[in-house]
Amino acid sequence: MKILSRTLLLLACLLAAIVALGPILWAVSTSFKSTNRIFAVPPEIVPQIPTTQHYSKLAAEGVQWAFLNSTGYAVLAVLIALILGSIAGYALTRYPVAGKPAILLVFLGAMAVPGFAVLLPTQMLATGLGLYNTWAILPIIYAGHILPFAVWVTRSHFATIPRELEQAAEIDGYSRAEAVWKIVLPGAKPALLAAATFGFLHCWNDYVTGSTMVDSPNLRTLQVALIFFQGFHGRDWGALMAGVVIATIPPVLIFLLFRKFLIGGFADGSIKG
Amino acid sequence: MQHPPLASQHSLDVLARRARLVGSSLVGPALLLVVAINILPAIYGFYLSLHEVFFFGNEGFAGLKNYTELLRDSFAWQAIGRSLLFTFASLAIAVPLALLAAMGVRRLGRWGSVLLTVLLVPWAMSPIVVALLWKWILVPSPGGLVGAIFTAFGMPPQDLLTDPVLAMPTLIIVAVWRNFAFATIILIGGLGQIPRDLYKAASVDGLDAWESFCKITLPLLAPSLLIVISMLTISYFNEVQLIIGLTGGGPIRQTSTLAYSLYHTGFVELNQGKGNAIAVIMFLINMGLIAVYIRILGKQAGAAA
Repeated sequence: MKILSRTLLLLACLLAAIVALGPILWAVSTSFKSTNRIFAVPPEIVPQIPTTQHYSKLAAEGVQWAFLNSTGYAVLAVLIALILGSIAGYALTRYPVAGKPAILLVFLGAMAVPGFAVLLPTQMLATGLGLYNTWAILPIIYAGHILPFAVWVTRSHFATIPRELEQAAEIDGYSRAEAVWKIVLPGAKPALLAAATFGFLHCWNDYVTGSTMVDSPNLRTLQVALIFFQGFHGRDWGALMAGVVIATIPPVLIFLLFRKFLIGGFADGSIKG
Repeated sequence: MQHPPLASQHSLDVLARRARLVGSSLVGPALLLVVAINILPAIYGFYLSLHEVFFFGNEGFAGLKNYTELLRDSFAWQAIGRSLLFTFASLAIAVPLALLAAMGVRRLGRWGSVLLTVLLVPWAMSPIVVALLWKWILVPSPGGLVGAIFTAFGMPPQDLLTDPVLAMPTLIIVAVWRNFAFATIILIGGLGQIPRDLYKAASVDGLDAWESFCKITLPLLAPSLLIVISMLTISYFNEVQLIIGLTGGGPIRQTSTLAYSLYHTGFVELNQGKGNAIAVIMFLINMGLIAVYIRILGKQAGAAA
């Protein structure tokens, strides 16, 4: 009986893993098949004659620049959010701040606002401010999306680090800023990495903000570039799946590297899905 | 702050004021950016919803005209219905799956974290990329993955995404595939909080596995379930990227939810007044659903605690 239920459990888990990963592996396989083999019947699970022609085609269309744009926007937004967020998170645990309960409510409320619902007025504000279709608009908006989490997770971690540790460092001749840099920040590493991972995934995986805030081809994100590519080459599944693969590698890699911190952040309820 | 032992009341006040000034100026930049990106547009959007705005031009105050027009439009009501169908059907599949996965992960021990990681990979992907990927999985040809399954059962491959009846269920399955596993993480945490002794006591009392699941696991999991259901509701109700990528609201508007019609009205038709009215309605429905959950599940959570 016990062995039977154990076997059933393992089978169910195996099935779940196949359902989760199967479609992704199928896309990887397709991206390496030559165009005339893509629709082979029965389907080839592993490409018999692998080719990189689809990746070359994407490169010929300049998709790598959109890849770099996405990377740049995401890195910039994460840096802005982590720097401003950890400074604010530190001040909220160590200093008296005027209107602190109201400020905490603003950060909490901002997490509940789905970014998509305010995209339309954001587009109009960005146009009015002359920021529409500039390189700066996406990092600014993304940073605004990630910041509440950055403040929230760093604040709760800073609160667990005793003030005496910093004071000891200050007695040893460090300035307060040095004490924070050497003592407090390293202690909050899990919180910072959780916010950074969540932030990178948020920016990299966005499509609607990217497609509504910039227009020039040279400012496009990878997601937007892939949709434009689909518009021109709708049935070129080999190239489209190559696009899916290159758009999936960075977020999945980051997720696999930092999943421990991300799952920790989820589990204490500080990150939303 | 350190201060001289014989400091006068006056210098203490100065120090306190200085600390307050430093604190506020350190929080300031973050607060400013968050308000500018999240709060200000929400207020501006509400303002715009009371105006006639087309193609970025404000043509004047319109009162509740955008709202009354929407409420008289049968398509808007259908969109609300589709949003609720999409949200609740996805929830009805995702929450039990997430709970099963959470129990499986806990029972697997060392391999559990491997399974959790595997299940989370689709969640780490971009929704628009997931849409592209599934368009290829669902391609109606014997050479496609789902097409091959149809062929194996002796049927001609169906185009599920352009079928008026099957498009919505297909969309729901893809949405659940992408993100149900993130709910698993929170449920694993919730399951870990339930004392093991309770299950031992239940088996002494002669309760079988199903009875102890209903009488112990479910009630004690209520707080985690409340969080999971609220988060998934917001996530599904506001889902737009998968729909843009997979069906574009079609066929014949069958997958045009409220979120998609906001996208279409505001960014494609450029009717920004009406688009913002849809956004305000979406916000109210979001808040209403969460309030209902808190009433139902919050009561249970309170009783369990």
